Amino acid sequence: MAKGTTIRMWRRTVFVLLALIVVGFGAIIFSLAKLQLVEGSSLQTRAVDQQLKDTSFSAQRGTIYDCNMKPLAESASVWKVVLEPAFITDKNREVIADGLSKILGMDKNEIIKRSMKKTYYDELKRKVETDVKDQIIQFKVDHKIDSGIRLIEDYKRYYPYGEFAAPVLGFTGTDNQGLYGLEKQYDSYLTGVPGKLVTAKNAIGTDMPFQYEQKVNAQNGDSLVLTIDEVVQHFLEKNMAEGVVENKVGNRACAIVMNVKTGAILGMAVKGDFDPNNPFAVADKEEAAKIAAMPEGDAKKAALKAAQEKQWRNKSISDTYYPGSVFKMVTGSSAMEEGVVNESTPFFCGGSIKVAGQTIHCWRSRGHGSENFVQGLCNSCNPVFVQIGEKLGPQRFFKYFSAFGFTSKTGIDLPGEPLRTIYYTPDKLNPVELATESFGQNFSITPIQMITAIAAVSNGGYLVQPHVVSQILDEDGNIVKTADTTPKRQVISADTSARMCKILQTNATIGTAKNGYLPGYRIGGKTGTSQKMDVKQKTGVMQYIASYGGFAPADDPQVAMLVFFDEPHGNSYYGAAVAGPVFAKTMEEILPYLGVQRKYTDTELAKLDVKAPDVVGKTIDEAKSALSKQKLTPKIYGSGTKIVSQVPEAGKTIPQNGTMVLFTDEKSSDTTVTVPKLVGLSLPAVNKAAANAGLNISITGAALTGTNPVSNSQSIAEGTKVPPGTVVVVGFIEPNQVE
Amino acid sequence: MTGTKPKNNTAPRQQKQKEQTEKPKGIRKKFRVFSARSGLDMPFLFLVLTLLIIGLIMLFSASFANALYRHGSSYFFISRQAFFAVLGVAAMIAISYFDYHHLHKFAIPILLFSYMLLAIVLFMKPISGVHRWISLGPLGQFQPSELAKFALILVFSHLISLNFKRMDTFRYGVLPYILILGSMTGLMVLEPHVSATVICVLLAAVMLFIGGVRLRWFGLAFGGAGAVVAYLVLFTKKFSYANDRIIAWLDPFSNASKAIMEDTWQTRQSLYAIGSGGLLGLGLGQSRQKYLYLPEPQNDFIFAIVCEELGFIGALIIIILFAMLVWRGISISLKAKDKFGMLLGIGLVVQVGLQVVLNIAVVTNTIPNTGISLPFFSYGGTSLVLLLAEMGVVLSISRTSAIEKT
Repeated sequence: MAKGTTIRMWRRTVFVLLALIVVGFGAIIFSLAKLQLVEGSSLQTRAVDQQLKDTSFSAQRGTIYDCNMKPLAESASVWKVVLEPAFITDKNREVIADGLSKILGMDKNEIIKRSMKKTYYDELKRKVETDVKDQIIQFKVDHKIDSGIRLIEDYKRYYPYGEFAAPVLGFTGTDNQGLYGLEKQYDSYLTGVPGKLVTAKNAIGTDMPFQYEQKVNAQNGDSLVLTIDEVVQHFLEKNMAEGVVENKVGNRACAIVMNVKTGAILGMAVKGDFDPNNPFAVADKEEAAKIAAMPEGDAKKAALKAAQEKQWRNKSISDTYYPGSVFKMVTGSSAMEEGVVNESTPFFCGGSIKVAGQTIHCWRSRGHGSENFVQGLCNSCNPVFVQIGEKLGPQRFFKYFSAFGFTSKTGIDLPGEPLRTIYYTPDKLNPVELATESFGQNFSITPIQMITAIAAVSNGGYLVQPHVVSQILDEDGNIVKTADTTPKRQVISADTSARMCKILQTNATIGTAKNGYLPGYRIGGKTGTSQKMDVKQKTGVMQYIASYGGFAPADDPQVAMLVFFDEPHGNSYYGAAVAGPVFAKTMEEILPYLGVQRKYTDTELAKLDVKAPDVVGKTIDEAKSALSKQKLTPKIYGSGTKIVSQVPEAGKTIPQNGTMVLFTDEKSSDTTVTVPKLVGLSLPAVNKAAANAGLNISITGAALTGTNPVSNSQSIAEGTKVPPGTVVVVGFIEPNQVE
Repeated sequence: MTGTKPKNNTAPRQQKQKEQTEKPKGIRKKFRVFSARSGLDMPFLFLVLTLLIIGLIMLFSASFANALYRHGSSYFFISRQAFFAVLGVAAMIAISYFDYHHLHKFAIPILLFSYMLLAIVLFMKPISGVHRWISLGPLGQFQPSELAKFALILVFSHLISLNFKRMDTFRYGVLPYILILGSMTGLMVLEPHVSATVICVLLAAVMLFIGGVRLRWFGLAFGGAGAVVAYLVLFTKKFSYANDRIIAWLDPFSNASKAIMEDTWQTRQSLYAIGSGGLLGLGLGQSRQKYLYLPEPQNDFIFAIVCEELGFIGALIIIILFAMLVWRGISISLKAKDKFGMLLGIGLVVQVGLQVVLNIAVVTNTIPNTGISLPFFSYGGTSLVLLLAEMGVVLSISRTSAIEKT
């Protein structure tokens, strides 16, 4: 046989070779192809997941500014303390846990436990202030700790004004996400995009000696510029807070100030609100104490939740109510627009009116007798508006009801506006329904809907889009978005609007709305007292909402305001007495700020204060004759012959027929008098008290037009020492004014 | 490496006795220290050196992160491996000049020496619960099973070539081999060392098959082996560690239990690495999985890093180089002057081929995880030297082979 390979060996070898190549090498090539070409990308994703360390850092949330760029909500740097258990050794575990527990006020054992986790990232505490961060850094330096504790920059939301426009601004959660109000509505703009640092890491979590590092910068959030004016808001908040206390308001209050031409909200205050810096704390102290006293359990949790939700709720856009008599300006405008009434259309009120067999009462049971349309509105006479409703008929009434925006949301850029789908369509407006709706009862709307209608009545007939954000700015201040201020539609003609303004001005001057009167500012207004029928049905006790809606100046309306007190339990529950004075006080403060000039009528001029003449340096006789020309009475102190000083100073206002104090020597000018109590008195009593004290008074408010005014404010507090002759401004209201 | 030393010492002394016996009998050859025909097979040498160089480059790339973290120097593994590579290449070239027929005389001594080492290793300090390594001090660890595989190939070639005509009998064709294989693998199972056992069985089967054993014995052997394995798996705990590996093999991404998660960690990391490579790979040196994810990337799982860095294309080229090496080795052997050379050459290159296939099959989770190193690539100095020495034997055979050597 052959020495070398036999045929059979050759065959068998070739078989082995082929088996090895085909089966063996074939199988591994097949496996590789499957893993690398087919499953490659999914395996790579898994690999990358474990290889990349993804550290995200927060974007700075955008600022919320008022219309003058004063920040109302801003984000400041705070720190996140992160434990890196992977880098904590048994040697330094104790030291780290001890140090951090002291600095952060945490349980030491918990930190030890968490430091043993098999991870390299464990958030220990968030939103730590910079001074605490500095302490941690110092601690690391002191104990030579290089790794194991990491500090990551984060942001915290601050509301510098505290309890201020809180339901409008809303608040954010622990992750800086908007939870309420504007923070929620514009969350996507405010949030920005968090940044990311992606680094390659090895299996033990440290960075690799490797060029893989990718940084995606955080894109900070956009800022909001509001239409809200901090100054207007401030006055509104202050006066509403006082009004709530004074009138013992039971169910919160709200007020809105709107630019009638653009729909821009200049101020929106809700009382019974909260501090957005600490939104979960119940701000109402009584309520908070009551909840704190409750036993632990579900009931307490529910009570806390209810109280929180209540204080967060933006009453001015979320609550619905019967608008009451304020709505009469809408009924009146519609009727005038349709030509079914004019200023002199005669009506008669006998104290009640029968509609389809049902008697509807006027608030004044003895009736108003014969009156024209203007008088009817000034009297807020229900039978007059029942008749106007009849004249309009259900079709036309509903046409305007809908046109004034009461059947849809206003679309204000705040969350929580309810959509009311239940209202009376013309076919359901039977005579009784129509009659009651004509004077504002039996249908529910929101305060924001009401003020939008008031704006339409006053601004030439345009239904505007109410809004609180005028501009959205990006990080660099470029405008991202600007509010659209185009009116939605014209509801009534400019002529009807102008005539309505005049009628409402008359109402605010001498009618039921005169508590809103301010000399020179041409206020137009309407009071409202809504009955809360639903509460009566539930509890058997009638509760009321006192409201006052108006605008100024009536000859060229700029701003509208709606003041709304829910369940007042003070001396009066009428809109005129409760809401009117707050309206007037606020208007008096904001109108000069908004640049509205006073313009006096002749009657007003006759009662107006005059300017004190300059008599310093003159002889006593010269001064006396100068004063008598202006019908001012001199009162002389001292023994000199020439006037050395005077109160009030030259150019300052002094009431007509006031007393001017003249000092003839230096010594006498040191004389002071004490300001007496001038609040809660009738006009003659105030005059008497002021005269006794040697003071001048300047009166404002309903005293100028009212019949039975009582003072409710004084510009210089009781007990203050002032020079004789000083002018004290005393505000009056008609406390007994109903409707 | 221990296998090569005795040959150098003893060969010259026995020179004279051999010379007479060479001519008349088919197997015995005329004694020569050096191989008669001049040229060695250049393609085979080229393939060996190419694979060795690629292997060294990849070893450096795969090991440097691990070397830095665990041993403080990026060069820890590569410097040692390079030293042994130089040593191994020198041994290979030297051995290629020796007439492989001298190995007839060493077949039995080397076998006995292997038995001795396989027995000694059982008393060594276990590493990871198994007794596979004998410490050689500064030279690292030595696996007796590596030498045993060579001994098996050598003794089988020796016996088959001597008893070629009686290979169809049980007494000469089956029994001695069964006894050798059984005793050898029996010792390996005691370590335990499943992968070496499997390779020995496969190698023995291939050699007996080519050697002319009747096919029915294979049927019987497969049946018997199946029964033994079934018995061991079902009724003893001998293979319990292998059992877990089979569970891990079936679902490497299972997170059913922590134990399985830990067991499959290596396989998962290997698959991540291979998958990450895609078609073209991340580029040489760009592996991410070697950063402590894949445990000991310089050892059995080095091919996963190769796949990650060089992609499917690179892996395929390396596999083709291995296939060419096997092909060339078998071609050389088929044209060898005698059956001893033919069987020896085939045994040695088939061993390389089997290790490559099984290693890559493990790395790709085609078969359950078991410790098989990748020839020329995996870290291990003594085993590299032994491998290159074996390649030297193949080259020595090529000198007498009738193949075209360019």
